[in-house]
Amino acid sequence: MWLELALISIVFLGIVILGNNRLGTMIQLFALQSLVLSATPLLVYPGRHAVVMAIVTIILKVFLMPSLLFWAIRHVAIRREAQPLIGYGTTLLLGGFLMGVVFLISSNLDLPVQETSNLLVPSAFSMVMIGFLLLISRFQAITQVIGYLVMENGIFLFALLLLENTPLLVEMGILLDIFVAVLVMGIVVNHINQEFGSASTINLTNLKD
Amino acid sequence: MGIRILLHISLVMIFSPLLLGIAGKTKAFFAGRRGPPLLQPYYDIGKLFRKGNVYSPTTTWIFQAAPIVSMAAVLVSSIVIPMGSIEAPLEFWGDVILFTGLYALARFFVVIAALDTGSSFEGMGASREAAFSCLAEIIVFLDFITLALLSQTFVLSEMIKGNILSSWQLFGPALLLAGASYFLVFLTENARIPVDDPATHLELTMIHEAMVLDHSGWDLAYILYGSAIKLFVLGALFVNILIPFHGLSVVMQTVFFWGGMMMLAVGLGIVESCMARLRLNRIPQLLISAFVLALVGLFVVLIKGV
Repeated sequence: MWLELALISIVFLGIVILGNNRLGTMIQLFALQSLVLSATPLLVYPGRHAVVMAIVTIILKVFLMPSLLFWAIRHVAIRREAQPLIGYGTTLLLGGFLMGVVFLISSNLDLPVQETSNLLVPSAFSMVMIGFLLLISRFQAITQVIGYLVMENGIFLFALLLLENTPLLVEMGILLDIFVAVLVMGIVVNHINQEFGSASTINLTNLKD
Repeated sequence: MGIRILLHISLVMIFSPLLLGIAGKTKAFFAGRRGPPLLQPYYDIGKLFRKGNVYSPTTTWIFQAAPIVSMAAVLVSSIVIPMGSIEAPLEFWGDVILFTGLYALARFFVVIAALDTGSSFEGMGASREAAFSCLAEIIVFLDFITLALLSQTFVLSEMIKGNILSSWQLFGPALLLAGASYFLVFLTENARIPVDDPATHLELTMIHEAMVLDHSGWDLAYILYGSAIKLFVLGALFVNILIPFHGLSVVMQTVFFWGGMMMLAVGLGIVESCMARLRLNRIPQLLISAFVLALVGLFVVLIKGV
């Protein structure tokens, strides 16, 4: 029951992130989503392993990464998405459609491990889809970073299925990788901004001699 | 049967303006004012009933019929909703369709009355109302499908009281999603903030109020009363879903229902005080989010199997 509530609130926050156009709010929502996410290992497999996972997730995804992203938007001085490739309403509808497909597929999925809840796989996949949608439908580099992080949250959820069989070291390695990736992306965003005067990735498609 | 319906309708008529009063008092409290008295909506309606009507020569009978039809339609819709320990006087297979259909009828008449005046301003309000409510209606139907799947029935009063308690234990997340999306529809249908501001007049961004500008006297009273009843009935449905009090003793049911309605009015006041009205082009987006939430709720019910 609590696990399902957490999963549904993660999906809910994902939908809200998808329909939002303010970068600051998006980052805060992502931090909130990660906070809920950090509780899920404890709900699936209560134990020492899960506690470590939860603490590391909270430190990295609730505090470090959002503050890094906040630092980045302060630096490039952008507050909202200028012109999304697809309108917000259409993106939301697409997201709903993708979630329908995901729920359909994952009910027929044959998994090697026993699922704790039959909502776990669909909500993990939904997050991956929402992350992809954010990545392809927005131009701002920061929004794309958030899309990547939301997608990673989905993968984290999916990995919960194998939590017991994965060594702690591997999990820590993955989380460290993501942290480094976000760090690099923050620097890249800054460079894009310095080069073009805006953090829109649409500039990167132009050829230059 | 007839007595029960009369009792039900008179209860709705007596208490519905009170909710508006409570919401107004809450808003005044948040703004640091004393605010109008709790019974102010009753005084307003009473005052309008004592006044005469002014009709523009371009209007036809539709303009005069619309307020009465719309109020009658929402009043009739109340008889399929149980109120606490008071059972719904009328229930039959598929009364969900009747329920939403009556709202569509009320809206249709208000919209064509607005078009009947020939004023471009009211036509604009009518087109907005029609557009947004057509988005809102889908969401209501999706929520009803979720409830119907959970309760395995198509009778509204059984859908919201039959096994809602066990549904909350098994499908709590799905019901929360359906409830959240229904609350957004509730705000839209009643033309409250963040969708529409009931307090503004003569502003280009308003929706519902723009349509009823030409109504005066008791016609306006019918419109005001109708919207109060609409708030009450849609709110009663929400409270019935949100608080699974059925099966408790009569006293507890009464306390929970009326307490829930008060809380809803206070909550409405809080939402209105804390939020600004959305820009008009953001409203479809809000409704689409509500649609996606309702859709996900339905998926959850489908995937978990009933």
